[in-house]
Amino acid sequence: MTAIADLINTTKTYYCLDCGVCTGSCPVSRVFPEFSPRQIIERSLYDLEELSDHTIWSCLTCAQCSVRCPADINFPEFIRLMREQAHFVGFDGVPAHNGMLQTIMSIQTKDVQQNRLFWIEDGKTKETGDVFYFVGCRPYFDIIFRDIDAGSITGAQNVLKILNACGVEPVVSNNERCCGHDALWNGNEEKFKQLARLNLDLISSSGAKQVIFSCPEGYHTFKNFYPKYFGELDFKPVHILDFLADKLNEGVIQLEGPGEEVVTFHDPCRLGRLAGIYDAPRKILETIPGIELKEMPRSRENGICCGTSGWMNCSSCSKEIQLQRLKEAGDTGAGTIITACPKCQIHFRCAKAAFDLDIEITDLYDLVADRLKTE
Amino acid sequence: MLDVGRHSNIALLAYSEVEKVDGQAGNFKVTVRRKRRYVDEDKCTGCGACAEKCPTMVPDAFNEGLGSRSAIYSYFAQGIPSTHTIDPDFCRQLKGKKCGICEKVCQADAINFDQEDKIMELSVGAIIIAVGYDVFDPSQIPEYRYREIQNVVTAIEFERLLSASGPTEGHLDRPSDRAVEAEIAGFEKNLKKSERTLEKLEKKYDEASAQFYDKYQQGQYQDDEDRKKWADRYAAYLTITKSLDDLKNKAESFTVAKRLAFIQCVGSRDFRFYPFCSGYCCMHSIKEAIIAHEHEPETTSTIFGMDIRAVSKGFEEYKIRGGNHSNITYVRGRVSEIMGGPGNNPVVIYEDTQKRQVESQEFDMVILATACAPTKGIVELAKIFGVELDEYNFIRTSPLSPVDTTIPGIFVCGCAESPMDVPESVAQASSAAERAAEIAFQPNL
Repeated sequence: MTAIADLINTTKTYYCLDCGVCTGSCPVSRVFPEFSPRQIIERSLYDLEELSDHTIWSCLTCAQCSVRCPADINFPEFIRLMREQAHFVGFDGVPAHNGMLQTIMSIQTKDVQQNRLFWIEDGKTKETGDVFYFVGCRPYFDIIFRDIDAGSITGAQNVLKILNACGVEPVVSNNERCCGHDALWNGNEEKFKQLARLNLDLISSSGAKQVIFSCPEGYHTFKNFYPKYFGELDFKPVHILDFLADKLNEGVIQLEGPGEEVVTFHDPCRLGRLAGIYDAPRKILETIPGIELKEMPRSRENGICCGTSGWMNCSSCSKEIQLQRLKEAGDTGAGTIITACPKCQIHFRCAKAAFDLDIEITDLYDLVADRLKTE
Repeated sequence: MLDVGRHSNIALLAYSEVEKVDGQAGNFKVTVRRKRRYVDEDKCTGCGACAEKCPTMVPDAFNEGLGSRSAIYSYFAQGIPSTHTIDPDFCRQLKGKKCGICEKVCQADAINFDQEDKIMELSVGAIIIAVGYDVFDPSQIPEYRYREIQNVVTAIEFERLLSASGPTEGHLDRPSDRAVEAEIAGFEKNLKKSERTLEKLEKKYDEASAQFYDKYQQGQYQDDEDRKKWADRYAAYLTITKSLDDLKNKAESFTVAKRLAFIQCVGSRDFRFYPFCSGYCCMHSIKEAIIAHEHEPETTSTIFGMDIRAVSKGFEEYKIRGGNHSNITYVRGRVSEIMGGPGNNPVVIYEDTQKRQVESQEFDMVILATACAPTKGIVELAKIFGVELDEYNFIRTSPLSPVDTTIPGIFVCGCAESPMDVPESVAQASSAAERAAEIAFQPNL
């Protein structure tokens, strides 16, 4: 049996009804018709698909197709496994930024001295403790994407500020590694496993019972993929949105004005469709006095992807998707599009710079930190 | 239906619920709650005078909420028994307010606000469950935006819009346009009120409002409280006229819906909801498209689906006839998404899998061919009767005894058992009646 035929069986892709819902839903297919999830499956079922097919790297793995699929086919997972096979025989996608980010991921699998904590300033952290704040790739992004003012590190500083305001002094470690999300979706399972192992050992040595994430990719990877490869975790991955919602309910922190602002919210795919967190960010926005939330036509389950994922195949198609999304945001009458993912931030800010668009792009945690009520 | 109502051997206990079932085949004791109608069924002649005079209007459930009925009502005109019922959730009298108009107008003296539920016990030999089904609620599919886009309707809603006895008398007025018409009616009511008030004031001061208002705006009468009120009223009148004119201008361009999209398999053949094929929806979409075309020959319809399951004698021919004579286009492709478009026109996004192209197309109205879902109370009902349900919550039968439930002496027919069309339901009903008779007429019982 060929590798692809094998995949069809393990993922039950043979249930495909050939109905076209996936391709009709796909943000890539609408811009780049050569890519069609339905046709990839069709070719696979007829044994016509090749691992060298370059379109398999165009998938954003955003799950817009799979949440709508009437046959319950997990197309992103099918693509991920296919990429794994393709990578194994020497085919890869086109890395963005000349592969710089993939190299940084590789370096982190080694015993390296990192400089991950330069940003902490007056934030309070600990060496060991119950709560671990998994910062993710923000310190690296901060350096790489300074030219587009990505504000990645401000996000980390603000998350720490929020945690401190809630009375939590988390463990933040210089030895944290990339969570492996991108390696996994780039088809490089080996690299993913090396990174994940290092992270698990690190968290275990910190004694943490709870690991807090502000990055939806890290949360999704820890929650859903780490147990698949390494068994049950001995800590609980917690998304900061859930954590924040509790603290706001308990009245531990309060949010205040000033100023009226109309905003719209972009659901990151890992946060919304893959983690099912839709209401928490909206509740927080509602809690902030003076903030009015205007929804885009494509929101929540129907939220469109930010255009590229896994630092791969960033193309004119990505830019078109981003441009349309930012226009959609502007059409609601909102002056600011709020996201809750460092990569959505980078992608949108890049498109804003490229097309010179008149819309602000803000991270939800930056907004919350800015509106924290101080006694 | 009328035959059942008239039959001397059939006692019809409508508006009633089974609360308990004891015994076994040949000898069941069934406890039935006859819910109070607040109307004496034996006295009511069904003349409808009460419903005509009733001041409280509520959404009409029979018309899927598209029209309204009064708080005292008969579910639909041809229903049996031909009697009326008071809706206790809305009736002013029952809500403790002053009313009782229906009682005054009823010549048969049938209204009884003090009526109580009656519990009765029946001894029966066999039971047939024929509780039907519910329409799948498409708001569970977020990408179809059923609640957000007014002109996306279910097939049953569309059926009522097409019906000569429905809320639009068979004209395909779009829900968004009807909402505007309702708004206009509201404004017109306010306008009349406003005009009456102004008239009184004009009489009092013997001056036309417009003339007075000019003077007022130029600075006259500023200290006169009464005239100040007049000015406010007139300003309000002007706003109403303006809004009314705008809406009326908008309404001038309204026409009946002429470009229709039918979306098949909404909730069925879908692992997220019901994996089975509901069986009848392909045919009812074709039928609705043909009737819409009969009403208005300019109507074009597009039916989107994975395949058209026209399986039975003459069905395929009907489908082809729809294509040849009723402007129906069949597109192979399941719809991915419905978005709101300009002019309240829904935009359908899909892949035409034969052309291998993603397309988007604007329609006047989109009709969802919703799945056949088990009726809401069926789990409760199954407990009361002791019968088993299948994995979808339809009543379980076996292929070789398709109307026998898991309890001897209790039978099932129609969509309580599985999705089926009218002829099949009729055949099953006859079969279930025959099976019941076999038990009820055993000589040794």
